[in-house]
Amino acid sequence: MFFALTDDQQAFATTVREFLADRFDLDAVRGVVEDPHGDGHPVSLWKGLADQGALAVLVPEEHDGLGLGLLDAQVVARELGRGVAPGPWTATVLAAEALRLAGSPEQQAAWLPGLAAGETIGTVALRGEAGSWDGRGITVDASGQNDGVSRLSGTASPVDYPSVAGLIVVAATDPSGTPGLFLVESGASGLAIRDQETYDGTARVGAVELADTPAEPLGGGTLSGAAAVAALMARGAVLTAADLVGVAREALTRTVDYDRERKQFGVPVGSFQAIKHTMADLHVAVTMAEHAVLFAAHAVDTEDPGVDVAVAVAKAKAADAAWAATGAMIQFFGGIGFTWEHEAHFFYKRARRRAPLFGSADEHRARLAALTMD
Amino acid sequence: MAPVDLSYTAEEEQFREELRTWLAANIPDEWTQPGFWRALDDDESFRLRRDWEASKTAAGFSGIEWPTEYGGRGGTPGMKALYDEEMVRARAPQTVNVLGLTFLAPTIMAIGTPDQKAEIIGPMLRNEVIWCQGFSEPGAGSDLAAVATRGVRDGDDYVVNGQKIWTTNAMHGDKIFTIVRTEPGSERHKGLSMMLIDMDQPGVEARPLKQMSGASEFGEVFFTDARVPAKDCLGEIGAGWRTAMLLLSFERGASGVGQYTEFRRQYDEIVAEARRFGRSDDPVARQKLANCLVELECLRYHAMHILTQVEQGRDLGSESSMTKLQWSETFQDLWEAFDDVLGPEASLARPRPDVDLTPFQHQAMWSRSVTIWGGSSQVQRNIVAERVLGLPR
Ligand SMILES: Cc1cc2nc3c(=O)[nH]c(=O)nc-3n(C[C@H](O)[C@H](O)[C@H](O)COP(=O)(O)OP(=O)(O)OC[C@H]3O[C@@H](n4cnc5c(N)ncnc54)[C@H](O)[C@@H]3O)c2cc1C
Repeated sequence: MFFALTDDQQAFATTVREFLADRFDLDAVRGVVEDPHGDGHPVSLWKGLADQGALAVLVPEEHDGLGLGLLDAQVVARELGRGVAPGPWTATVLAAEALRLAGSPEQQAAWLPGLAAGETIGTVALRGEAGSWDGRGITVDASGQNDGVSRLSGTASPVDYPSVAGLIVVAATDPSGTPGLFLVESGASGLAIRDQETYDGTARVGAVELADTPAEPLGGGTLSGAAAVAALMARGAVLTAADLVGVAREALTRTVDYDRERKQFGVPVGSFQAIKHTMADLHVAVTMAEHAVLFAAHAVDTEDPGVDVAVAVAKAKAADAAWAATGAMIQFFGGIGFTWEHEAHFFYKRARRRAPLFGSADEHRARLAALTMD
Repeated sequence: MAPVDLSYTAEEEQFREELRTWLAANIPDEWTQPGFWRALDDDESFRLRRDWEASKTAAGFSGIEWPTEYGGRGGTPGMKALYDEEMVRARAPQTVNVLGLTFLAPTIMAIGTPDQKAEIIGPMLRNEVIWCQGFSEPGAGSDLAAVATRGVRDGDDYVVNGQKIWTTNAMHGDKIFTIVRTEPGSERHKGLSMMLIDMDQPGVEARPLKQMSGASEFGEVFFTDARVPAKDCLGEIGAGWRTAMLLLSFERGASGVGQYTEFRRQYDEIVAEARRFGRSDDPVARQKLANCLVELECLRYHAMHILTQVEQGRDLGSESSMTKLQWSETFQDLWEAFDDVLGPEASLARPRPDVDLTPFQHQAMWSRSVTIWGGSSQVQRNIVAERVLGLPR
């Protein structure tokens, strides 16, 4: 039995964490937050992550990647969440995963080395307004193929970092009603990116509007059709959960540190049981969410028979924990926690925005009910 | 180092097989039927379980992780986890000597005298001596250092006067490990001793207390000039607080595997009732139950985490408080969900002539106790906040 991070995985986490602390601290994050019309994609941060192999984790070695698993990738996601780091990391990693899982050898050779090196930015567009995250929420239609090219029409939203992406992996439904994944390159005809303002200044999002846009179907890989879409959703859910867990842990740590020092009524406010017990419950919740993410990543990597339950548990638990921990951060910093100058809102807003991505806690609980009650 | 690996060793798997085979051959079918145990009278149930457990010991399936010199199996932490899981799976009878086995035995192995080691552990394993835990008093519950039961030296003995309460198995106990104030006038953590007192003597009287569930699993123990030889002190005289803390630390080995296995089965049983009563399609009920499942699965992962820490030889520190909070609060939530989901039917013993919900209701009632004993949830939260997070006292 070994249910923990290996020394290598811990070292990887430390590297990313120290890099962020040195080179992209909360002041740098603030720079991105306070420039809402900028592209939200600091090049120094991106290069640094690429140098550490953070973009190459899941890419096979034959395509210049590290050939590691989701277990390793979630280590990075957690640290990025902890540092509330901006940038299209999750988006790019997921685009690469789509290629690895569903792409032909040629498609992989064409795109994966660039994605692994950070030279190409990718993103995924998997559902449309008000749609669910289980493949039924796809709002883009694909025409039949002509010379290996399909035409896509419809709008996917919200999509992470579409404006800076060179490659967009779009989920679309073909005329027979079968979902599948398609590659759309930036600048393709009929492609319009509509930037959407979001309160979460640590990300940039937009709508991807497609009007008879030429797209290359992903095909010839291990997975295709609905299975490919589902596999991508599962990975998106795990990586988002990992990010949320990082956000939650950091929010909790900062709150505890503050409440140990902040005095009212002549004593540290952290000595009040109302605060202590909330913090204790949050510590348990965040720890459980950490376990759940670790297990879900392992389950995906090993195709564990319980993978569907594991992913739903991880996403539900992480979303709830992040929401609770970041809300508590504002509450237990008091007035200062409600100010723009304070960093609590970076954590709170990131948690709030990400919690519903790849399925909210409620949606994943509904899924768990379906898996165990029907 | 290999990444996450959830397998057990070949040796551990072989142990699992042997245990499974033994359990399959040695648990009568009727014992596993819902309601069987509660239909028996208390003494009869206790006697059956006491004898059965002794036969399990004779077969080599007790003291799994204890050294062989104490009659244990010398097994690995993984084997202990598998044991906990298989016992639940097989619906084996619950142990009758839980306080002795969990707390007293490891403490004796750690700090007992050679005589105590030789005389106490074997008979406990064979259920020849049933042990009670005499910590709580009317005035000393969460605040254990407020213990008032006193012992006064008289020749080679101590003479003990006072009262313990909420004593599990009080009516069946043969001996009781008891925190006694042996230094007159001492206060709080000082002047306490852990005395191993024979309950079969005129100075000790046990009275049952009826629990909210109707059962009488605990009781009161009154000491009136009860005698205990000074040599039957565990640890040094006056060092009782240290002994008590060591003793309670043995809760830490418990990973939660057994609890997960049991509660996960209860989840399925509750779902089956929800379906029977047409409530399994209700979206609110589904959310409630699914949230219990989320917490249950987290308990399972946490158990794997604890087992890993134990196998790596790490000190778990105050992590056991987290384990306790997670399992006890989840268990309670699960049984609240039972009532919520079933609605009015949940409160009826037989909502239909062929449906007996009393085993469920018994669990639901029992679930109210688990956040009190073994350190209440509030006390556990204090521990997590102060010792894990470092918040000021
Ligand atoms: C089924 C069952 C079996 C038991 N078996 C045994 C046994 O075999 N041997 C034995 O010695 N004892 C046993 N106990 C007793 C158990 O250990 C005590 O009930 C427990 O320690 C709580 O003490 P108390 O009942 O005096 O409650 P109190 O300590 O009076 O607590 C009352 C309430 O105050 C809260 N509280 C107390 N202190 C604090 C604090 N510092 N901060 C915040 N809240 C606080 C508690 O959480 C609780 O909610 C058993 C209890 C039960 C229910």
